[in-house]
Parts: sequence; structure tokens; C-alpha cells
Amino acid sequence: MANKRQLLAIVALFAALALVPLFVTDSYIRHLFIIAFVYAVIASNWNLSLGHCGVFNFGHLTFFGIGVYTAAIASKTFGINPWLAMLLGGGTAALSALLLAAPVARLKGIYVVLVTFAFSQLVLQLVLSQSQITGGAEGMVRLPFLQLGSYSFLKDFKFGYYYVGLALLALSCLFLAFVSNSSFGKSLKAVRDAEDYAAARGISVARQRILALTLSAIFTGIAGGFYATYLRVASPEVFGFGTLSLALSMVLIGGVNTVFGPVLAALVLTFATEAMAGLQGFEDARFIVIAVAMILVLRLAPEGLVDLLGKLRLPVRRTQT
Amino acid sequence: MSENILEIAGACKFFGGLKAVNDVSFAVARGEILGIAGPNGSGKSTLFNLITGVPFGPTSGEVRFMGERIDRWPAHRISRAGLVRTFQKDAEFPALSAHDTLLVSATYNGRLSRPQAEARIDDAFRSVDFGQTRRSMPSRELSVYEKKQLMIASALISEPALLMLDEPASGLTKPEIQRLDDLLITVNRSGVTVLLIEHVLSLLLSVSQRLIVLNQGSVLAAGDPHDVVKNPQVIEAYLGGRS
Ligand SMILES: Nc1ncnc2c1ncn2[C@@H]1O[C@H](COP(=O)(O)OP(=O)(O)OP(=O)(O)O)[C@@H](O)[C@H]1O
Ligand SMILES: [Mg+2]
Repeated sequence: MANKRQLLAIVALFAALALVPLFVTDSYIRHLFIIAFVYAVIASNWNLSLGHCGVFNFGHLTFFGIGVYTAAIASKTFGINPWLAMLLGGGTAALSALLLAAPVARLKGIYVVLVTFAFSQLVLQLVLSQSQITGGAEGMVRLPFLQLGSYSFLKDFKFGYYYVGLALLALSCLFLAFVSNSSFGKSLKAVRDAEDYAAARGISVARQRILALTLSAIFTGIAGGFYATYLRVASPEVFGFGTLSLALSMVLIGGVNTVFGPVLAALVLTFATEAMAGLQGFEDARFIVIAVAMILVLRLAPEGLVDLLGKLRLPVRRTQT
Repeated sequence: MSENILEIAGACKFFGGLKAVNDVSFAVARGEILGIAGPNGSGKSTLFNLITGVPFGPTSGEVRFMGERIDRWPAHRISRAGLVRTFQKDAEFPALSAHDTLLVSATYNGRLSRPQAEARIDDAFRSVDFGQTRRSMPSRELSVYEKKQLMIASALISEPALLMLDEPASGLTKPEIQRLDDLLITVNRSGVTVLLIEHVLSLLLSVSQRLIVLNQGSVLAAGDPHDVVKNPQVIEAYLGGRS
């Protein structure tokens, strides 16, 4: 089933991304890439629950935020090595996803939206109210950063962070590709599209939903930990509506049935929003532009842009398969 | 071990005031093909639903499968235990290929490892004469007949002890019905007990060893298929139920 041409395109994309720092020394452009990698991890993992399994989880960014604060508290308050703190973010995010999934697994439609949204508000309130631990509304600053020996990853125009971010994205993609090609991954789409039929073929609908939510939180939480060690701040803004809607547009524009659609969309949209922010008068209009793009894609290509690209490809160059 | 693979005692399913299935009791003997007939809306599909737990169990009453009470079990547990059904309406996993539909069914219902599951897929396709070139096609692009074939293959691949088919012949052509007839006989000879809801009388009479007729949620008649269809009450129910 694995489409060779698609695989080739993905390998080429990652190879190209690995070469970027050799040509781009501007630390701001590198920063944009790093942020795009983080968004790509968030969006593609969200797609596992939202797209593949059809769970309308609107608390996905909370998994990210929990990763951010876990890494921040672990590294700053407890002095845990930032590398380990980053990974811990994945653990706490997955644990919180498991807790959220238990009640959500048996709910349907709008109730899933409500409960997951309430969960995200609950966590936000917790972060704001426990200010002696989390820094409250001000957040936490001057967090420890990644180092190897005495080499700081912030040096050389963020050279190290670029590759850690890229490696994180690559691992996350491998993980998602493995999951979605497994029988388990296929069963998620069965659960999403035909619950009764799936149950009549031995698939526990609730269990698959719980697993999908939990698995979707692992790399999202690690990305949160990475984000905290990179920006060196943990702020309640990560729970904000702006990040949520941007990530959602990446999932929907990228395509809900794929693994790499949201990754591509994240790369494109991060730079697109940044470019628009630079245009006079576009600072605020850019979110409207993205919203319009999202609606257009949903109207014209409900399977997402990656699917559309596949359909547009002319059937030439069919040498071998 | 019990002679009966399935025992239903006093099963009811009410939707508000509507008694869709009302105090139904019967048993299915190991190895038989038992037909179920009845006018539209007589409760046949609801009976299947309450037995398989998809999407609900009975309002009251008992269902025993191989001697065990299953009427409070979740649906996926019932089907894993070997009681596998098809649906009257088209059912499909639109995003999965025909191949992956069988894979998922074999891994979950059949509790097989991936290599074990893959090894069975070809046989399952062949048992329903599924076109070689159609197997990697997304299910949503299959024809109605192919979807029906696939639904039966996805039930057979986990080697169920009891196969429950809800109007498998509806919408099929004569030759297709004949092939279904052959398939049911083959499957039954391999040791699978079959419960068959059908409106196509020729198929029912050809394959079933016993026939139950439901009317307004209750058992109207049961016994030898050829006797049952001559029962005046049955004829009356069918004529009265159809305008
Ligand atoms: N989920 C439900 N909610 C409310 N009423 C239902 C539901 N399912 C079935 N019914 C009603 O229960 C009665 C029996 O329906 P059922 O589908 O079991 O009949 P059937 O014998 O399978 O008919 P057919 O031959 O048309 O398939 C009908 O009156 C139907 O409208
Ligand atoms: Mg019916």
C-alpha cells in the first residue's frame, strides 16, 4: 500500500530540511523553521485523534501546554536536565490525555467538544491559580536551555535547536506513519466512519478512542517540552485561541486522512502567516485569510490539499512501480 | 456442552411504547441453518441487534451463547466470542480498502497477529468470489454487490461459530442469489451455524432446515420451512402486512 512516490517525496522533503541551515544562516528564518516544526508535530498528532479517529478533541493544545509547563517546572524548579524534562512533557501529556479520554470515549459529537474544551479551561485555570508553582499569568522565564557538554544549542544562530526540532518532527512522523499503517491505525478509521460495523467486527470503540487520544498526546507533549527549553519561557498564552485555531487550520488544510498533510500545511502556513504579518495592514487580517483558505479547502477538497495534489498529478512518467 | 449454540428466553426490545420485539424465545441448534422471516417491521433486525448488542442489548430477557449469558456484554466482546453478524443496510469502512477491511476484522474479531491475519485474507476473498483487481480499492468505490460480498467475507474471516445474516439477498440478481445459496451451504458444511433473515423465499426454503416467522415483534410460527409457509396465520400476516 505504501505509495513509493509519496515516500520518495517525504524523504526528499526531510533531506532538504536537513540542508537548510547550511544555506540559511539568518537566525530569524531558522527560528521560523523551528516554530514550524513544533506546529507540524502538534497538527499531525492532533490529526490522529481528530482526523483518523474522528474524536472532536478541542483540548489538544492543552497537551502541548502541559508539556511546556512540565518541562519548565522539572528543569527550573527541580533542576532536572532539560533533555529529560523535555521528554517528561510527553509523559505527563499522555497521562492527562488518558484521564481526559476516560469520560470522553463514550460521548458523542458536540459533547466531546464541550468536555474537551472544559478540560482545557480547567487546566488553564489551574495554571493561573497555582502561581507559586507556575508563575501564574506572568508565567516562568529564564528556563534552562539544551546543552551538550558545554555547547549551548542556542549558539551559532540556533544551529542545535534547528536539528533537535527537525529530529523531533522526523521521529514523530515515523511514529505516526507506523501507527496509521498498523491494524490499530486502520481500525481508528473504521471506528470513525462506521461505529456499529466496527463493534460488530470485534473493535472496542471506546478503547480505540482512549488509545488514539493518549497516543496523540505523547509527541505533542514532548514538542511542548522542546518549546519551553527553546523559548525559555512558559506562558499561559500557549493555551490561547490563536494557537488552537492555527493548528486546526493546519489539520484541515493538510487533510484528515493523511499523516503528512498537516506537516506540509504547518510548514507552509507558518511562513505564510509570518509573511502576511510583515505586510502593511495585514497584521490582523492574516487570520481571516487563513480562515478563508480553510473554508475554500473544505469546500473544494474536503480530503485536504495533499489529496488534491495527488489528483492533479498527471499520469505521465509512469516508468516503474 | 449444550446442544444449542444460542438460546433466547423472553427477549424484549421496546422503543418507548413500541414493542419491536416482544417476549421472543427460541433456540438455535449447533450446526443448523435457521431461517427467520416476517413482514416489514416485524422486528427481525431488532432481534439481531439485541442478540449481538449492536447497537443495543435487550430491554429484558436472556441471551445465551454457548451456554454463557451475553445479554449485558458489549458488542465487540460478543463478536469476538464468535457470534458475528452482517447488516441489512450497506455497511462499509469507506476509508479502508477491501483488503484492510478484512485485515482489521481478522486482527480484532479473530484476534490474530498481522501475519496470521494477512495469511487468511486471500481465502476469505476467494470464498465470496471477490474480484482480484478490486481488493486494494477504497471501500467507498465498490459496487453495492461488492460491499455485500465484503461484509460477508469480513464476517467469515474470523471463523465465527454462529453467522447471522440480515437479508443478504436483497438487491441481488438471480445468479448472485444462487452463488449466495452455494456459499451458505459451503459455510454451513464447514461447521458454521447460520441464522438467516431473508425476504427472498426461494433462498430461505432452499437453505434453511428450520424457519421462524415473526409478526409484530412475536414468534408467529416455527418449524419445518415448507410447513411454516403453508400456515394460514403466516399467509395472513404477510398479506395483511403488505398493502
Ligand atoms: N432504533 C429504533 N428506534 C425506534 N424504533 C425502532 C428502532 N429500530 C427499529 N424500530 C422499529 O421497530 C420495529 C421493528 O423494526 P425492524 O427493523 O426490526 O423490522 P424488520 O423486521 O427488520 O423489518 P424489515 O423487513 O423492513 O427489515 C419497526 O416498527 C421499527 O420502526
Ligand atoms: Mg430488517
